[in-house]
This record gives sequence, C-alpha cells and structure tokens, in this order.
Amino acid sequence: MSVPIGAYLMLSLALLILGLIGVMRRRNPLMLLLSVELMLNAGNVALIGFSRLWDDPSGQVFALVVMVVAAAEVVIGLGLVVAIFRSRTNLDVDEMSSMRG
Amino acid sequence: MGEAVTFAVAAVGALGFGIGVVFFRDAFRAAVSLIGTLVSVALLFIALLAPFAAAVQVIVYAGAIVVMFLFVIAYLGDRGDIGTPDRLDRWQVIGWMGLMGLGAFGAIVVQTSTAGPVQAAPASTDVGSPASIGDAFLTGHLLAFEVTSLVLLVAAVGAVILARGAVQGEGGR
Repeated sequence: MSVPIGAYLMLSLALLILGLIGVMRRRNPLMLLLSVELMLNAGNVALIGFSRLWDDPSGQVFALVVMVVAAAEVVIGLGLVVAIFRSRTNLDVDEMSSMRG
Repeated sequence: MGEAVTFAVAAVGALGFGIGVVFFRDAFRAAVSLIGTLVSVALLFIALLAPFAAAVQVIVYAGAIVVMFLFVIAYLGDRGDIGTPDRLDRWQVIGWMGLMGLGAFGAIVVQTSTAGPVQAAPASTDVGSPASIGDAFLTGHLLAFEVTSLVLLVAAVGAVILARGAVQGEGGR
C-alpha cells in the first residue's frame, strides 16, 4: 500500500485534461461524447481514491451515480446524433447551430 | 508493492489508450481504445479496494456504453471531417492557455495538499463490498438512489421520443 493519493489524483488530472483536449479538438459529435466519457472516468478515479483515503463508502456511491449519469448522457447524446444525421450528410458540431429540426 | 505495480500498469494503460481515444482519426478505433481505458480504470478501482465499482465499471461502461457507441458508429458508417472553417479559430489560443492553466493549477493543488498516503489498512475492510455500498445507498444517500431511477426513466423516455420522430421522418408510424 505504497501509492500515495497524490499519484491517483495526478492520473485523474491527466485523464481529465486528455478528455478536455479531445472535446476541444474534435469536430465529430461522436468523438466529443467519447472524450466526455474520458473526463467522467477521470472524476470517478478521484472519487474512489478519496473513498479509499477516508475509508468511507460515500465516494463509491458518488462514482456509481456518475456512471448512471454517463449512461443517461450517452443514450440522449447518441439519440441526438442519429436524429441529426438523418437530416444532414456530414457530422460536424460547427454546422449544428440550429435548435429546430 | 502489489498496489504499486497494479497502479503503474493501469496508469500507463489508461493514459495510453486515452491518447488513442483523443487522437485516433477513425471513430471505430477510438471507441475500441476507450475500452482499454475503461478496463485500466477498473484495474485502478481494484487497486483501491473497490471491487464492486470495478465490476460495475466493466459491465456498464465497457459492456453497455461502448457497445452502444460501436453500434451507432457502425450504423452511421465512416464519414470523415469535411473542411468547414472553424468559427472558433480566433479563440484557440485562449482555449489552450486555459487548458495549461488548469493543468498547472491542478498539479499545484495536488502537490501542496496535506492529504497523506492512502491508509495502509482500512478500519473496516468491507468498504468496497456490495453490502456496504447498498447500505450507504439506502441510508445516507437515499435521495441520490431515487433520483438515479428518475434520471434513467427520463433518459429512456427521451430516447424513445427521439427515435419516434426519426421513424416518422422515414414514413413509419
């Protein structure tokens, strides 16, 4: 049990920044959703690390709730991507500026 | 010692596959790379004595969510980026500076925090067991538990409504 909590937090930070780079660079909404999943996982690593640090199951409860939110977000996000795809030929978030179908 | 080795392997795996997620041009490869990241994070959860969270991570994320991604990618087919000019191009420098600022801020906070190393031996060894998590859910976090069911219900209804509009667009009912 030699790994300090700081190592887990630095890994979490690196994953979060990686996901943020993906959100900034990517134009395809599918890839944006993938990058958001990366960021949510970074948050989960930090939460479970703190749960271990304080010896308290609350952190794991938070992480499980985050997983549920991620599942709901993917369902709605992919539904929107498929719905938008039907009216357009290409997938580019910069082109999706209209709220009306 | 065992935790250090597990952490090293999982950290390298998570970051390596994460770089694949962000930089693979092909959507299919990026989604498959995400599986690697998710399994590495599950390994980290095991190293942190959270076996239940690790199991849920593999079943829900790598099992269900990534399969849904792969299904949509296969359904939409390969369509590359087309060359529309980036309307946010002017703000790019500010974005990258903000990103580096966030990284520096986080690193400074982690380095200067006074939290000690992870406790060597937890007082109650079953913190990560399904029994203790279920107990926490149904006593201290009952509201979160109920809101979870509501969130899933809203997501399911929203997906049905989105899909119904799409079916009508194709001439179905």
